Amino acid sequence: MSDAFIVGADMIKFGRYPDRTPFELAAEAALLALDDAGLSIRDVQAVYAGSTFNSASMVAQRMLQLIGQTGADCVNVSNACAAGATAVRQAILAVKSGEYDVVLAVGAEKNPRGLMGGPRTEGPPPESLFGSVAPPSIFAEAGMVHANRYGTTIEQFAQVAVKNHHHATLNPKAAYRTETPLEEVLASEMIAWPLTKLMCSPNVDGAAAVIVVSEKKARELGLTRAVRIRGSALVSDPYEPRSPELFDPNTVTRLAASKAYAMAGIGPEDLDMVELHDCFATAELLHYENLGLCADGQAGRLIDSGDTALGGRIPVNVSGGLLAKGHPIGATGVANIVEIVYHLRGEVGARQVAGARIGLAHVLGFAGVSASAVHILEKARA
Amino acid sequence: MATDSILKPRSGHKAIRVGDGGTPSIEGFRCNVCGAATCDKTMACRNCGSRDALTSFRGAETGKVFTWTVVHRSYPGIKVPFVSAIVDLDDGLALKGTLRNVDPGAVRPGMPVRVIFDDAGGACDSEGAPYVGFHFEPEGISA
Repeated sequence: MSDAFIVGADMIKFGRYPDRTPFELAAEAALLALDDAGLSIRDVQAVYAGSTFNSASMVAQRMLQLIGQTGADCVNVSNACAAGATAVRQAILAVKSGEYDVVLAVGAEKNPRGLMGGPRTEGPPPESLFGSVAPPSIFAEAGMVHANRYGTTIEQFAQVAVKNHHHATLNPKAAYRTETPLEEVLASEMIAWPLTKLMCSPNVDGAAAVIVVSEKKARELGLTRAVRIRGSALVSDPYEPRSPELFDPNTVTRLAASKAYAMAGIGPEDLDMVELHDCFATAELLHYENLGLCADGQAGRLIDSGDTALGGRIPVNVSGGLLAKGHPIGATGVANIVEIVYHLRGEVGARQVAGARIGLAHVLGFAGVSASAVHILEKARA
Repeated sequence: MATDSILKPRSGHKAIRVGDGGTPSIEGFRCNVCGAATCDKTMACRNCGSRDALTSFRGAETGKVFTWTVVHRSYPGIKVPFVSAIVDLDDGLALKGTLRNVDPGAVRPGMPVRVIFDDAGGACDSEGAPYVGFHFEPEGISA
């Protein structure tokens, strides 16, 4: 099978777009990515559109109504917070199959406001009767497993928010671009111990898109700015004895990571940067270990060392992450990949990871059960 | 004599079985092949995929706190704070529930707790039948 390459990648600024439809957001991101690649919608043979709250309304086709109804093949995918990465992975598989040379993957979302995952309809509403079903509570409980086992402190979790908000000040496309010192993170409203408000990703709207092409097409367009897909994995959560009573973000991420590393033929020590799914500050520390950036139990030490900040050994979430760039559910998985592409091309200005050659993008989709996607990207060699 | 009317209590949670006399218990399902236990009645074993029948068993009503959080912000109308805990029951089932009658700051991993059946906050179904719920309490509080 041929390799797949990303030749166009871009996103709109994440934020609140009360007057725009998710289809308009998708269309804007798609046009940005097409312009980046120097291609037209007429060159696109297939579209994969990821969205969670808007997927049922056919995002791909409604986007094409706005930018050109070419009759391209299209698939709308939904996979909770992994929807965008699922769209990209399907685009990669489609290109690698030999069926297409040019495929557009887009993720777009207008998030609902407020706390997600409200009460179900049958039986007594479970919230507070049978623990909590709210996402911050669930990620707090997962973080407390780490805290109980290894002594991880609220300050260490909070430092994730400090770091990622700092990174976002350097990213004009991030939704929240103000510094949040440790005292401010700790003093913000307590949501679910140990998560304060600034340690929870904000519900914003957004869209991101990539153009995935075959090796033949990439060579035709020129490889100077192309990025090669080295690894691509998407898995469902395997059985875990306490799941689903206890949400387990670890096993599913470790499975996705091991598959992506095996496909790429590299290990975590070969990475120059990582964009991972910091939907809550606790999650970032868990994923340091899940992705092999440090040994089990060492995540607190890793954030304390500064190695995951811009300029450190293995910068994590230099985009600002979900915590500060924002988390438009279906767009996030594409946006994480877009950020890696920016850096591998060396075009991202103040927050550039110097000499970045290989990067990893991770997402975790969770809605009572999970999906995790890991992509490993490498700067193409001309 | 107690009348067992049409308003017999209903289970308000997947892990609660309400017996013929209205007596609640915790119900688990164990795979006959690999032994994996869960509160969900599945069509085949979640762990090994075996389609041999799962065996229903009465779950323990004692266990130990594995992890928890103190919830300070919830959905509109929900009273906070409360402790949401995942408890390892003594027979291998894990169960999520609210831990009541405890100082939230005093919860510790491994803390022994007990399942207490309750009226699910007074919730009833559309016919007026009361739901049975449960919560956890630190061991030794209720006789």
